[in-house]
Amino acid sequence: MAIPNFLYKNNRVLLKELTKTDFKLRYQGSVLGYLWALLRPLMMFAILYIVFTKLMRFGDSIPHYPVYLLVGTTLWSFFTECTNQGIQAIIQRGELIRKICFPKYIVVVSATLTAVINLAINLVVVVIFALINGITPSWTWLLVPVLVLELYVLALGISFLLGAINVKYRDITSIWDVCIQALFYAIPIIYPLTMIAETSETAAKVLLMNPIAQIIQDIRYCLVTDQSITVWNYVGSEHFFWKLVPIAIVVIVLIWGSWYFRKKSKKFAEEI
Amino acid sequence: MKADTKVVISVKNLHKSFKLPTERAGGLKQAIFNRLKGIRGYTEQKVLNGLSFDIYQNEFVGIVGRNGSGKSTLLKTLAKIYFPEKGSLEINGTLVPFIELGVGFNPDLTGYENVYLNGALLGFSNKEMDAMYDDIVDFAELRPFMNQKLKNFSSGMQVRLAFSIAIRAKGDILLLDEVLAVGDAEFQKKCNDYFAAIKGNQTVILVTHSMENVRKYCTRAILIENGKIVKDGSPDEVATAYEKLWD
Repeated sequence: MAIPNFLYKNNRVLLKELTKTDFKLRYQGSVLGYLWALLRPLMMFAILYIVFTKLMRFGDSIPHYPVYLLVGTTLWSFFTECTNQGIQAIIQRGELIRKICFPKYIVVVSATLTAVINLAINLVVVVIFALINGITPSWTWLLVPVLVLELYVLALGISFLLGAINVKYRDITSIWDVCIQALFYAIPIIYPLTMIAETSETAAKVLLMNPIAQIIQDIRYCLVTDQSITVWNYVGSEHFFWKLVPIAIVVIVLIWGSWYFRKKSKKFAEEI
Repeated sequence: MKADTKVVISVKNLHKSFKLPTERAGGLKQAIFNRLKGIRGYTEQKVLNGLSFDIYQNEFVGIVGRNGSGKSTLLKTLAKIYFPEKGSLEINGTLVPFIELGVGFNPDLTGYENVYLNGALLGFSNKEMDAMYDDIVDFAELRPFMNQKLKNFSSGMQVRLAFSIAIRAKGDILLLDEVLAVGDAEFQKKCNDYFAAIKGNQTVILVTHSMENVRKYCTRAILIENGKIVKDGSPDEVATAYEKLWD
């Protein structure tokens, strides 16, 4: 069925305006404004750095551990911000959805794009930090955007799926909060994966099946040190199938999320 | 009828019902309990009950009826905000819906920023907005306030700004829901002038409770009662029928 919607040719304009609005409103009324996009993750990093490298000495075996840690926390804050904003997006923009007809995915994408902008700013800090720490730039740095894209696709897929359910069952917000807590410990962000590998190789391999762990370890490998355990260098080549599991999860989540969101989006206007 | 014969909206046997939760079914727990107990958890409310009509080019159609008769649901269905479960809806041309003025207006943004945001929602690019920005501000008579946040505007000022943007919207069909009901006498006059100007040059569907407006602007009116058309004809006939509803 052809939908003669006058907004169709202007979806990009709408996406841009909504993203701009979200970004402007985020730090409304704070003295430091946009600077918080940088300061907040850096302060979080400072706390984790003091606790885990100075007090608990987690990173003694890994070169450039502070940068290694910063990469992990930066990507993790991106993922949590992205999914939290994305899941809430439909409800927060409920007023628009009840009054005007436009493709609903725009709302989710615009909400998550704010997190992407924040990540871009933070990655500049990571690079500066890496250079100060004496890491020499290499060609593998160019792979980072591809891996970031993989993480964004995963976050978007989750936002579509859970955001659509959240319209009817607001419990999703609370459930996802708990999931985020659990994931934080299930992913080698603050502790090096080598610590797990020393006690159980299987456990380390299982943790790597999580796409977020795969992405963070890959980016650490590309950006910081080849001491980073990745799916590619750790899971034996005889188990080639297992190496593809994380990427398969990302693809499945995106397809499932988009399909479900599309199916449910017709009813958003009356259910919000 | 002086209207052209080209059909721009064709509605056939339109049905729409809402599922109204009986108990508080807003949570997973309740949903699971309801499923276990075999309760559906909602009752079905029929809102549109088989509507059929054609609207021709350049007609100014008034849709009238009591509160809860299905007028707004019909308008939202025409605007594709709601999806009908039965029946067909065909629209030839671009359709600009005004379910409310100032959709997307944000109190924490400045007047200037809100103009661009609202414009984007109405389908204007930034370039088009640049070109008409001065006209919008002058028409609303709000030039000194445009760098203030919208929350510092009075409600009348907000409506003026929203209306000034809305009348720039170019579409083949305008859908208006009670936009006349707000504003002071001067604003009402601006609305009147605008409607007088577009009457006969533009297809308009107007939902209203004001029979005065129906008689003044409409070329045709439709009376809806319990989701069904009870009268479709000249504004005078329909307005009289509407007034008799309470006799």
